[in-house]
Amino acid sequence: MTAVYLLLGLLFGYILSRSGAADYNFIQGMFLLTNFQLYGIIGAAVAITAPGLWLLKRYGRTISGAPIQIELKPLHRGNLYGGILFGVGWSITGMCPGPILVNIGEGKVYALAALAGALVGAALFGVSYPSLAGVFRLPPLARGTGDG
Amino acid sequence: MEPLILNGAPAIHWAIAGAGIAAVTLTLLYLANRRLGISTGFEDACSLVLAAPYFRRDAVIGARGWRLPLLAGLVLGGFVSAIGSGGWAPTWHLGMFDTTIGWGPMGKVVWMFVGGLFIGFGTRLAGGCTSGHGIFGLSNLELPSLISTLSFMGAGLVTTNLVYRVIF
Repeated sequence: MTAVYLLLGLLFGYILSRSGAADYNFIQGMFLLTNFQLYGIIGAAVAITAPGLWLLKRYGRTISGAPIQIELKPLHRGNLYGGILFGVGWSITGMCPGPILVNIGEGKVYALAALAGALVGAALFGVSYPSLAGVFRLPPLARGTGDG
Repeated sequence: MEPLILNGAPAIHWAIAGAGIAAVTLTLLYLANRRLGISTGFEDACSLVLAAPYFRRDAVIGARGWRLPLLAGLVLGGFVSAIGSGGWAPTWHLGMFDTTIGWGPMGKVVWMFVGGLFIGFGTRLAGGCTSGHGIFGLSNLELPSLISTLSFMGAGLVTTNLVYRVIF
């Protein structure tokens, strides 16, 4: 299965790279409302994934015959405040998490600094989870904020 | 449509890109019963070296086996894309950042590291990023994902407009 994940990642990364989703100018253009490519990409992805998901859940099973299992993300104050922090970071770097890795693969040297920052940021978050959980009313540690 | 920073290549059509991302998302669910999401991969990477209780959760340790290969695939995808669009070479080019702000490599490293801190901390506090909330969560009609997507799109809009229309 490792090869399957690697291959799906490769395909995802290639699409992000060639569509502008991992391009600094395209991301700034999206937020400046001068380039609508990213709205089209995300809109099309959701418009196709949504009915596909519905069909899979309604009628489908996985290839191995298991029922589809989707763990829903918990609702908490972090959804809002974490989203705001992430939006600031997406704007500053022109990259969201996937494109950080894509840009590294493309040879963009500065993307390594973005990855270092993201790892330190995630580490700070995880280490301070017990104190943050009170402030943002996060789920118990074993559950976390939601995976994905 | 403007060309990509990468080799000045033309961008593929948004509908094709969107359909491709949907195909990857649905295939991941169909083949492996996994919900797409990249930002938890940062935690998986942290868990390789950190022993804090948060990084010892089953959701983190148990997901390393599939999420880390997926993340490695993303790097590979960028590499293949560079080769296929004119060649791979290390570069510091950063498009309109160069023409408008114009900082050199050291400035870019600091800028990117600070932005990365916001991404790592923010996505984990939000419980997802563009893929987990924006693509999968929205497609699955989940309220937390709608809240997060609206807040990161809004914050990005404000930040970029501050940077490019007010400060620089």
